[in-house]
Amino acid sequence: MGSLDSYIPIFLLIVLGIAFAGLSFVGSRLLAPQRPTAAKEAPYECGIVPTHEPSSRFPVRFYLVAMIFIIFDIEVIFLFPWAVVFRQLHTFGLVEVLVFAAAVFVSFVYLISNGALDWGPIKRIRPVATADEVRTTASTVRRHGSPGASGEAA
Amino acid sequence: MGDPLFSNGVGLAVWIIVVVKVLLAFGFLMVSVMLMIWFERKVISDMQNRIGPNRAGPFGILQTLADGIKLFFKEDLMPDKADRFVFKLAPYLTVLPAFLIFTLVPVGGVVTIAHHVVELQVADPPMGILLLLALSSVAVYGTMLAGWSSGSKYPLLGSVRASAQMISYEAAMGLSVAAVILESHSLSTRAIVAAQAPHFWDWGVFRTGVVPFLVFFVAVTAELNRPPFDLTEGEQELVGGFHTEYSSIRFALFFLAEFMNAITMSAIMVTLFFGGPDGPGFHFVRWLWPILWFLGKTLVFLYGYVWIRAALPRLRYDQLMDLGWKRLIPLSLGWLLVIAATSINAVWGFSVLGGGIVAAGVLYQSLRVSSRRREALAMEGGLGRAGRLASHQVQLRSVPDGPGAPVVTGGGTSEGGGS
Repeated sequence: MGSLDSYIPIFLLIVLGIAFAGLSFVGSRLLAPQRPTAAKEAPYECGIVPTHEPSSRFPVRFYLVAMIFIIFDIEVIFLFPWAVVFRQLHTFGLVEVLVFAAAVFVSFVYLISNGALDWGPIKRIRPVATADEVRTTASTVRRHGSPGASGEAA
Repeated sequence: MGDPLFSNGVGLAVWIIVVVKVLLAFGFLMVSVMLMIWFERKVISDMQNRIGPNRAGPFGILQTLADGIKLFFKEDLMPDKADRFVFKLAPYLTVLPAFLIFTLVPVGGVVTIAHHVVELQVADPPMGILLLLALSSVAVYGTMLAGWSSGSKYPLLGSVRASAQMISYEAAMGLSVAAVILESHSLSTRAIVAAQAPHFWDWGVFRTGVVPFLVFFVAVTAELNRPPFDLTEGEQELVGGFHTEYSSIRFALFFLAEFMNAITMSAIMVTLFFGGPDGPGFHFVRWLWPILWFLGKTLVFLYGYVWIRAALPRLRYDQLMDLGWKRLIPLSLGWLLVIAATSINAVWGFSVLGGGIVAAGVLYQSLRVSSRRREALAMEGGLGRAGRLASHQVQLRSVPDGPGAPVVTGGGTSEGGGS
């Protein structure tokens, strides 16, 4: 018989799963009340009336992660058939996969050193506002007993 | 090769056996999810000095059933900005993979019913492990589409986070599974279990040297969005994450899938690394002992999940991504190569190990280059508007010998310019 026979139970379980989910929807439709109001149908905002549409733009990092993922996922998929026949391939298989892994590793190192996998906000410089030459510690700090301490420097 | 049940054609008896197996698996999953939710709530409340559910049934064991029935009677809401078709589709996409992954798990040994050799597992396709990886990828769609179709802010953010997190740990998970395949030379779960008999030191966890198991455990915890990797539904930030807008039975399906995934993934871990149903048996009711061993081992992992949830605080998002990409992926890849080399001979083993140490040095250097690059960007004022403004001010106001040296402040999460 065909080699697809061993997938029969999986297809049966797919059917059963869909039937279960579908029936529970039907059950919920029959049992649950249907009294929608404007407040119930508004997007959840912790009780605040929503003012903005949800943004359709994301930080580009998420797309970058998805792209880099493809590199590694393809690498992993290549490794599975290799792992199955590794005993027959022996030393040849090892050398081959070392070359392959080296190529992937170099691109990985390149990605990391380029900052493609960094997350979070970049540290930034906060300027220290002491660059005024007129106002120094000598001119602004009043010392007890020094001239001008009795009030004229205020 | 393949399932012996189908070797002599598919007759009526085979169909009956298959249907019975599928129904048993389905019933087992539903009941075990019910018990798992109760178990988790009970253990957590014990660890937190609470009583937990104790009203419905003895020791509150029927609490999950009561909650499920209650959810049937709740109103099914849909936000008016939702994409209606995708919003309805997403719970199905989440529940189905959860059901299907369990089909691959060998629950027990082999029994003979009416001259048919029946393996005590639902299906044994020759590509079992590839199917596992495929199904765990499909689960990402359910999460992603649920958040996207809700037309609301928190679900959207939660689902984007979730999908980035799930695909990030997918690669590390695949690499640690490849280490198991290397030892068993087969993608069929039944063959993987057979390769781990008869002694407990033949188990995958020892033969692959513990590290792939640890990587797999962490990666699976992240795939499942369980604590401490549950950033997708971090209550303090995102309300409920991707299923914020779901109510009634649709929410119940997400909840069901979440706990079913925890059970099936524990079972997969037992299969890959702990010999599946392997263990000492006795001469009476021979077929029963492997099943008990399997259930016992799975229960240990389920308890582990609950324990971890009670013990560990949630990670920050950049820590999560760093752990997945910069630690687990290189570690599992290097370990895989070392295992492969040592299985040829010791000389190859040590040279690949040496190469791995050199590669770790290179990786460390590249991490330093990346952090220095970030510092340089910070000196230039970062990437964002706030950062550029800051550097502009420094330029205007600095004097040659004044005390206005720039001070690098820590990367506060709320005021950052870039990313």
